[in-house]
Amino acid sequence: MSIRSAWGNLSRSIVYLVLMLGCVIAIAPFVVTILASLKTTGELVQGIFSLPEEAQWKNYVQAWNDGHFSRFFLNSIIVAVGVVIPSIVFSTMTGYAFARFRFKGSGILFAFFLLGLVVPLQALVVPLYYLLREMGLLDSLWALILPQIAMSMSFGTLLMRQAFLSIPREIMEASIVDGASSWTTLWQVMYPLARPMIGTTALMFFIWTWNEFLLPLVVNIDPKYQTLPVGLLYFQQRWTSNIPVVAAGATIIFLPLVAMFLLFQRQLVEGITQGAVKG
Amino acid sequence: MQAPSTPDPLKQITGAATSAAPVTPPARHGILARLEPYLYLLPAFLVFTVFLALPAFGSVILSLTSWNGVSWDTATFIGLENYIDAITDRRFQIAFWHNIVLIPYFVLLPLLLGLIPAAVVHQLKLRGARWLQAGLFLPYIMPGVLIGVVWAWILNPIFGPVNKILKNMGFSPPTWLGDFTWALPTVGMIGAWAAYGFCYVIFIAGLQKIPSELYEAVRLDGANTFQEFMTVTVPGLRREIAVVLSVNLINALRAFDIIKATTDGGPGDQTQVMALYMINTAFGANRAGYGTAIAVLLALITLIGSMLVLRFMGEDDA
Repeated sequence: MSIRSAWGNLSRSIVYLVLMLGCVIAIAPFVVTILASLKTTGELVQGIFSLPEEAQWKNYVQAWNDGHFSRFFLNSIIVAVGVVIPSIVFSTMTGYAFARFRFKGSGILFAFFLLGLVVPLQALVVPLYYLLREMGLLDSLWALILPQIAMSMSFGTLLMRQAFLSIPREIMEASIVDGASSWTTLWQVMYPLARPMIGTTALMFFIWTWNEFLLPLVVNIDPKYQTLPVGLLYFQQRWTSNIPVVAAGATIIFLPLVAMFLLFQRQLVEGITQGAVKG
Repeated sequence: MQAPSTPDPLKQITGAATSAAPVTPPARHGILARLEPYLYLLPAFLVFTVFLALPAFGSVILSLTSWNGVSWDTATFIGLENYIDAITDRRFQIAFWHNIVLIPYFVLLPLLLGLIPAAVVHQLKLRGARWLQAGLFLPYIMPGVLIGVVWAWILNPIFGPVNKILKNMGFSPPTWLGDFTWALPTVGMIGAWAAYGFCYVIFIAGLQKIPSELYEAVRLDGANTFQEFMTVTVPGLRREIAVVLSVNLINALRAFDIIKATTDGGPGDQTQVMALYMINTAFGANRAGYGTAIAVLLALITLIGSMLVLRFMGEDDA
């Protein structure tokens, strides 16, 4: 073996080691948290990576029941579904309209729909709170669903317009020659063709909604209408001394995300690369 | 669901449109045909206008008033006074400064930790690192609160693993998030931890698009690894670098979730940041007008920051 290739192998191994270290540092906090969630407080002090003598599933029971995680979990799912489905339908329609039709004011309307890309929630959350108060929607799941559909529109419109523009025009024209209305063309011809992009978009909407923290923190005081992130915060504040139970609560939140991540890794990376523009 | 366009009245356009100008229905085919695109926009437009555009506009108005947030008739128009107050408010200045301090941690550190390994992996043509990517990317999709809660216990001075290890090694570590000197850098490091894998994955994806002939060309010119990095890799990743820089910068300036879940601005005001101060002012101190002015400033600062990044990176339309 020449010195050159030996050096090459060595540097490869070093790079792999560095990468692996980077990966371990990224994952370790979660692993340690899962381990902690299965221990007693006593075992927690003994060793970090040590396995518990007997898995303390009661930490999960305690988080799920006493910590009201069952309620938060249910709310999170209702809100996620309530946001993602209408957001996908609406932004498919707007994306299609901007990609397919030429109409008066389309430029201004498109710019208007992109407003959400530059205006963060933080900039409008105070008036939004008072608007929801006037509508009598504070302390309800509507207060989480409706604003988050609105917040999804900018990114959705942008992405879906791109998706439809990338489909060859002839396909749509053929459908119209066949006598299909634009509405039928959208849902029966265009929608299936745009499905990969729609999937990616839906995934992004889901993660943003699942993780949203500021909005529920501000608009809902009643824990009955709270979602998981704020629920976890309440929980952490109340159970500060019982770390295993807090760790169990944290695990309840991140395991669904990990599962989702493993299932849809490729779309996710692609979606986030594109969604990065949203900021 | 709405039914913005019932198919039947549209038959006439679709039939007529095929002969002349395909697809784009011209305006002369009746009122419904002309309305069609607007009907597609209608549901999104309504939700978007009421729950995003209206409150955004409301922010501008509200920021010009003094209002306790209780009943509308107590609001008084005071012009730019809130903005002047904010600029001279010592606590707002501190909060703003803390956001600036977070920039090296949230922006530069993850950029370098992502860029350099990605470039090395690409130049050595290493394969099979996909599962590594998955692990690296994981923190990025986690909610900020969760990240905060997880790190808060890991850095817990009594129960947390970090101080346990350090104590075993003979150090006497600080209390990190509870320490006046260490709290802000610690929050910064948590932010860097959450972002570096994302940067790496974006850069790896971007590197695949750089044609390998470019590398061969500079190699023929006798360039060393560093020169390759500077003349091919960095320019080839310009777009990705711009995206990473602006996303991370926005995260630094808008930082909220992680801080709320770790320090809540403390100890004292050591980790107070603009977003947290805004919420505390508007809702905690019942100064809705003043809080909104801070929110508008925060949005403007973020916008200017990300525009500067994009301008600096020569991106007009990212």
